[in-house]
Amino acid sequence: MTQLLVGLIMIIFLALPPVAKIMESVMIIHMHMQMPMLIIAGFLIAKVFQERFPGFFDKWNRNGLPGIMLFIIIVSFWTLPRTMDEALNEQSMEVFKFISLPLLAGIPLRDSWKRLEKLGRNIVVILFTILFFAMGWLYVDAPVQLCNNYLVIDQIILGWGFLTTAICFVIYLGYVFFVDPSKYE
Amino acid sequence: METALNQTFKTKATKLLGVNKQDAKISKTYLFVSFVILLVGGFLGLAQGLNRAGLLELPSWLNYYQILTMHGVFMLLAFTTFFTFGYLYAGLSHELGGLLPKVRKIVWTAFASKIIGAVLVVIPILMNEASVMYTFYPPLKAHPMFYIGLVFFAVGMWLCNVGAFIQVANWRKNNKGKHVPIFSYFATGINVLMFFALIPVAVEVIYLIPWSFGWVKTVNVMVSRTLFWAFGHTLVNIWYLTATSAWYVIAPKLIGGRRWSDTLTRVVIIALVIMNITGGFHHQIIDPGISLPVKMMHVFMSLAIGFPSLMTAFALFAVFEKTARKQGGKGLIGWYKKMPWGDVRFLAVFIGMASFIPAGAGGIAQTTNQLDTVVHNTMWIVGHFHLTLGVTVALTFFGISYWLVPYISGRILTPQINKLGVIQTWIWTIGMIFMSGAMHTAGLFGSPRRTSYTTYGDHATALGWDPYMMCLAIGGTLLIVGIILQVYAVINMMFFAPKGETEFPIAEAEENASPTPYWTERWGIWIIVMLIVVAMAYVVPLTEFIVNGPPGSPGFKTW
Ligand code: HEM
Ligand SMILES: [Cu+2]
Repeated sequence: MTQLLVGLIMIIFLALPPVAKIMESVMIIHMHMQMPMLIIAGFLIAKVFQERFPGFFDKWNRNGLPGIMLFIIIVSFWTLPRTMDEALNEQSMEVFKFISLPLLAGIPLRDSWKRLEKLGRNIVVILFTILFFAMGWLYVDAPVQLCNNYLVIDQIILGWGFLTTAICFVIYLGYVFFVDPSKYE
Repeated sequence: METALNQTFKTKATKLLGVNKQDAKISKTYLFVSFVILLVGGFLGLAQGLNRAGLLELPSWLNYYQILTMHGVFMLLAFTTFFTFGYLYAGLSHELGGLLPKVRKIVWTAFASKIIGAVLVVIPILMNEASVMYTFYPPLKAHPMFYIGLVFFAVGMWLCNVGAFIQVANWRKNNKGKHVPIFSYFATGINVLMFFALIPVAVEVIYLIPWSFGWVKTVNVMVSRTLFWAFGHTLVNIWYLTATSAWYVIAPKLIGGRRWSDTLTRVVIIALVIMNITGGFHHQIIDPGISLPVKMMHVFMSLAIGFPSLMTAFALFAVFEKTARKQGGKGLIGWYKKMPWGDVRFLAVFIGMASFIPAGAGGIAQTTNQLDTVVHNTMWIVGHFHLTLGVTVALTFFGISYWLVPYISGRILTPQINKLGVIQTWIWTIGMIFMSGAMHTAGLFGSPRRTSYTTYGDHATALGWDPYMMCLAIGGTLLIVGIILQVYAVINMMFFAPKGETEFPIAEAEENASPTPYWTERWGIWIIVMLIVVAMAYVVPLTEFIVNGPPGSPGFKTW
């Protein structure tokens, strides 16, 4: 119950016009702070859904694959420059962002992560590492403005944000592959 | 109160807590060096205080800015580093069954590296070739030896971190599935934070070296400041975390109580490690080149560190009250009488903690852009960090010394030294109230920091600062008396006090606590979360500074 409440408060707080405006005024904060926070909010809310509709999740997401596919699609969709732009220009797109990220990314992520095998999880992280390197390279190297709403310098900053995050993922993968937890646990 | 004191005075009882001689030698050496540095640093501080009050004209061969640079480096970097490692390694050795021979070697090498570093730093300062303050902001340019000395010092710190990691990892391998004992858990957090905080400043120093040699003509000033504060801010918080470890782990034992929730204690440590480095930006609120929304975000990041700090205050006052009530304390506030006020080991730590309330309040004011514009670079700031560092951290360290030094020296804390300690604690407190109070006030009236005595041609405003500067000098004089007493006490406990066994006071966990979840041990994950947070916070200004960077600045020697 508290998780649901925290999640809902997070969404409402993020949707407050002054908060949304200031976060969306900086490209990297828009993509790397507002959006992940919406996913985290959904992640928190997920618990209530799992408790209410266990049958639904068991039926449709037994091995976690459908959920994680949905997560990947929604998140990849929101890493495109075009979608960010539209969220700023079109009210309906902005609403879709506030709904899709918690409900279609946050909730499936939580439900699927538990169900995935270790291999599945690592593949997901590897996928995002590759995606983040690619997006980073795109944003850093693009000689032109990719978004109408953001300057080239914003783009470059976002690109470095992608690259540094991707490096952190690599470190994580290294940790998973080289540190044997059975030695300690 | 009696019980707590008697425990140490009648120490024969606990023979099983014997100290490993070789490990004790490490801690003894570190602590000895630490307090010698404190003594010298204190006299330098006094010279500054007297100068600013217009009472002391400094000779041309040792001017105000040389003294200020040394005071800053000694107090903020050296005194604290040597103390922290002396303390942490004593605890690691005690809790984890003695240091590994390999770790001992590493720690001694680290010691040598730090001493070489310190000497290399001090020489150019004395030659008047490095009056760049402890922040060494470019374009102020010091002699290359200064930066090379810093590298040696940093390597020394890194080696100590690595030694602690090896020690803890080894223990975990031999104690599968168990939680790292609480003191060592603190030590792990402190070392993780230091290890990563040193990276940005190391990058900065590495490119300042060719610049100071003249091989590279210019340097990016904003990048340097940012890299410096990623370290500088975290460093101060590392000392704070070190002090906190004594509040959580040691203080409850001294008053005969138990620790606060083990799980939440570990969560506080993790939170402080993850969120700390990003706080560096609050030292750059007034800096140009960082856009307002980004500064706004960083206000939240700074205040986010306030949350676990507040939990700390809550936790400890709860522990104190609970213990005092168990021992018969009554009434809404009557329980405070049950605390061992006559025990320096408790008193010093308690005052250190209590002073964090005004210090923290001042800090929150400073993170606010508008308020900070009033006090930035004034004596207010100096007043602020003499509260945080000079009282919260320093007094806690002093309090620790009254059991730690006897413990590693195989001696005891005598009632005389205890009394001396209580007197010194009060002298220190009153001295700091004078000095820090005067600094805060003079700062509000515009008195600049880092400026030797001047009346600005007898300008009325500047003359108005004089009464406060007099208070500052009075406070400084009390403080030097305090430092002399403190160093005397340490020397006495180290070499002259009666032999005996002293306990390393680690409090037990709460009664019938629920078991601590194992995820608190997954440092690998927490480190990665920390790195992501740091990357997010720093990528914005750094990319801007570099991509839109100005041509860069040549070095200046303005002194
Ligand atoms: C005898 C005790 C002390 C006295 C009289 C004293 C006095 C002073 C004065 C007058 C200043 C600076 C003024 C200026 O900005 O022009 C100063 C700076 C400073 N003090 Fe102290 N202090 C004492 C102890 C300490 C302690 C215990 C610490 C920390 C553990 C400390 C840390 C610092 C630092 C970091 C600076 C800043 C240096 C800079 O701005 O570059 N001081 N002190
Ligand atoms: Cu800070």
